Amino acid sequence: MTAALIGFAIVLILVLVRLPIVFAMGLVGTLGFAYERGGSILSERGLKAAMSMVGRQITDTAQDYGLSVIPLFILMGLFVNKGGMARELYAVSNAFLGHMRGGIAMATVAACGGFSAICGSSLATAATMSKVAMPQMRRYGYSDELSTASIAAGGTLGILIPPSVILVIYGLLTETSIGKLFMAGIIPGILGILFYLFAVRWTVWRNPEAGPAGERATWSERIRALGSVWAVLLLFFLVIGGLYGAFDFEPLNVTFSPTEAAGMGAAGAFLIALFRGGLTVGSTFEVLKETCFTASALFAVLIGAQIFSNFINLAGLPEALIAMVTAYDVAPFVVILMILGIYIILGCVFESLSMLLLTVPIFFPLVTSLGYDPIWFGIVVVVVTEISLITPPVGLNVFILKGVVGDVSTGTIFRGVTPFWIADIFRLALIVLVPIVVLYLPQQMGALGH
Amino acid sequence: ADYTLTISSWAPPTHGINAKMWPKFVEMVEKATDGQVTAELKLGIAPPPAQMDLIMDGAADASIIFHGYQPGRFVTTKLIELPGYEGSAEDASVAYWRAYDQHLKAADEHRGVKVIALHTHGPAQLHSSTPVTSLEEVSGLKVRIPGGVGGDVGAALGATGIQVPAPKVYETLASKAADGVVMPLESRKGFKLTEVAQNVYEMPGGLYRGSFAFIMNEDTFADLPPELQAALEENVFGEPLSREIGKIWDEIDATGREATEAAEGNAINAASDADKEKFSAIAEDIRGKVIAEVDAAGVDAQAAYDMIKSEMSSN
Amino acid sequence: MTPIIQLVRRASALPVIVACIALFILMAMTFCDVILRSVFNAPIEAATELTRILMAILVFSVLPIVSTTNGHIAVDLTDGFFNRLHLSHARDVVIYVLSGIMLFWPVQRVLVLAERARDYGDVTEYLAIPTYLIGWFIALSVAITALVMIATGLLKAFAPNTLSEPLQ
Ligand code: NA
Ligand code: NA
Repeated sequence: MTAALIGFAIVLILVLVRLPIVFAMGLVGTLGFAYERGGSILSERGLKAAMSMVGRQITDTAQDYGLSVIPLFILMGLFVNKGGMARELYAVSNAFLGHMRGGIAMATVAACGGFSAICGSSLATAATMSKVAMPQMRRYGYSDELSTASIAAGGTLGILIPPSVILVIYGLLTETSIGKLFMAGIIPGILGILFYLFAVRWTVWRNPEAGPAGERATWSERIRALGSVWAVLLLFFLVIGGLYGAFDFEPLNVTFSPTEAAGMGAAGAFLIALFRGGLTVGSTFEVLKETCFTASALFAVLIGAQIFSNFINLAGLPEALIAMVTAYDVAPFVVILMILGIYIILGCVFESLSMLLLTVPIFFPLVTSLGYDPIWFGIVVVVVTEISLITPPVGLNVFILKGVVGDVSTGTIFRGVTPFWIADIFRLALIVLVPIVVLYLPQQMGALGH
Repeated sequence: ADYTLTISSWAPPTHGINAKMWPKFVEMVEKATDGQVTAELKLGIAPPPAQMDLIMDGAADASIIFHGYQPGRFVTTKLIELPGYEGSAEDASVAYWRAYDQHLKAADEHRGVKVIALHTHGPAQLHSSTPVTSLEEVSGLKVRIPGGVGGDVGAALGATGIQVPAPKVYETLASKAADGVVMPLESRKGFKLTEVAQNVYEMPGGLYRGSFAFIMNEDTFADLPPELQAALEENVFGEPLSREIGKIWDEIDATGREATEAAEGNAINAASDADKEKFSAIAEDIRGKVIAEVDAAGVDAQAAYDMIKSEMSSN
Repeated sequence: MTPIIQLVRRASALPVIVACIALFILMAMTFCDVILRSVFNAPIEAATELTRILMAILVFSVLPIVSTTNGHIAVDLTDGFFNRLHLSHARDVVIYVLSGIMLFWPVQRVLVLAERARDYGDVTEYLAIPTYLIGWFIALSVAITALVMIATGLLKAFAPNTLSEPLQ
């Protein structure tokens, strides 16, 4: 256990001096594994054992069939962008909500939620929506705090509402069903939208100047806007419907595995973008290239995480934690609260993926040994990592906004985000106290499977 | 204990492999060495096909491999997978070890690791969500069958194969990415098939039997004092361990059958006499093909086959 | 020095094109597999193993470029601190060189494992593609990654001007 804790501390230090996570976790994991197998970090026998494990991780992780959803979902999100679907989502939610006070910010949150249903990444959701929604909110005199915060917070929904790259990675690390995890994310994701809408209302109630009402759209305009989101609905239906049996009837009888759903989604988004004239050979190439680069970096970091996690496993840290909890007879709920506390603190400095990779191998065995549901814990972890994306001082979504918008300070955005952050804490409390919110849909899915 | 071996394993923690077989191994090892040698189980260090490399290089001391996961590497192990043998997994495992000792060893397919047990699971049957009651209905189904003889049988029956490692079978069936799966009855419980594949089509002797080995790092064994080595060789490794593990396969097969009988909406459909006859002709073909393949690997395949057959029927 | 760097930059277009083609095939193949299976009841049997190989190609082809264009996921919490001390440059040099050196051992082991697979005759299930070929490809890609990372670090240290335009 001591070895694992020292290893963990060294990874933290290396990561903080900006060594890429794959090298930090890979190096410490390798030497730690060698130590566990050979008695010292440099013993020939230990190193041979460790290198063999590393070599297999390198070749096997990149060839893990289940992980093919990662490049395919990323690809789908990028093609969706080229198809102009973010703009249409925003137009329709604006047509319905824009006339209320704070309505354009509310429309932004709703559009973020909708976009999350076809995009697997929070950063991509925030980046895309900021280009679409920011100019509109500026035009109507929305405060920078509210407009940037609604996008930064709304963007976090990208990893909770399926599809979600983070849920796929959690599924891989814990051998939990990706289909069930996706299903479990839906209700907490919708709750997230509702809570954020409250946060907007609260902001404009405190300061009406922050979000003046926009023009009221006529019903014919609303219906026209609705008619334009067919592509988004089609894609969502294709992917999520396909995953959960919407096409399981004669003569098709087909239900998608996560990989198939991702492939169909990517191909569907490609065809829609192509059909709408949003793609050239050059821009298709750019999309493919960006996907490959992102996937390559993600797989690298996954390999590092698996290596490190094998060291933690061999060093017996999870067993030691479980023994400790049993020895001191800590109530399971107190353990969960402590873990949440640790996540909130880590969330100040880490972004979602690194936090997940560092903590899940340690906490997951403990949490499941206490009798908690692995699916439920997955959603809890994703919600706390969502929160980390908007928690100062390092909130990646906030930085994305700063990057795209330019002339606002991160301080302003963090100030605006505060009510959204509090809304998140309420949502987290609800999910922790009422697990059925998470587990209802996956349980239904088990029943439907017959 | 003076020596604690690290076992690397896969399959779910509650599966018989991890819940019963490894504990049995530890029990036997401790008993044979008066507690001087013990072992601890670590799950999920690497996927199933990586296990042999891990053991060879000492990333763990012992592991379990399923030969079908490494197409091309293991040929002689196909002999025990053939359909048509009659008898329990225990009988088959003992016969397997004896045939290995006398014949199959010569092919040296496990070079680099020490083989400490060989065993097979019970007869593999077809599990599907829609009922299959005749051999003909198998044609056109998308079925998960592991490599080796299982693959040959699937092809002969006209099924389309899909590759999924055992731990992913539940999700594959739940998402209907496959219509069925060919596995032993134990997996009805071990991989929760009662929930996703309610129907079993049962062929006596099974469509094939999967071949497994327990393997150990050679240096780990060499480092043990000679008297402990002797004690393990005498009382654990080889036939004794193979027999005990085979017994557990039988035991968990029975549990799987009970679970199926108790589960609502589950059914076991026995093959008709006509289908049995039809299948034995298919089995005959495959046997000829496999014996030729194993012969080519430098083993007297016919002699090994006859030996397994007679060992199993003499029990 | 500069002509060599230009050559490397031009040559780096090839792996990107390879990765893009692999990804596009992966998407198209998954799509076709679903259509063939649902409409014509004739799935692509080798889809799973081809998916695996295509993933290895798309991930590892671009790894050298990702590794030398600041593409790895890292925590930039202390960037301000390093900037203030004017140490960012030195830190980057150290990180590039160290990371590159670190990859030396995995490359060796991946090669050993590939050779082993070749010796045992390991092949894929349906198409009987020898698996050592994939091992070789991965080892080559990681080896190139190691070399270009070390080169990038050294150039940053001794000839920072040659790296002024981003490596693409
Ligand atoms: Na999403
Ligand atoms: Na943060």
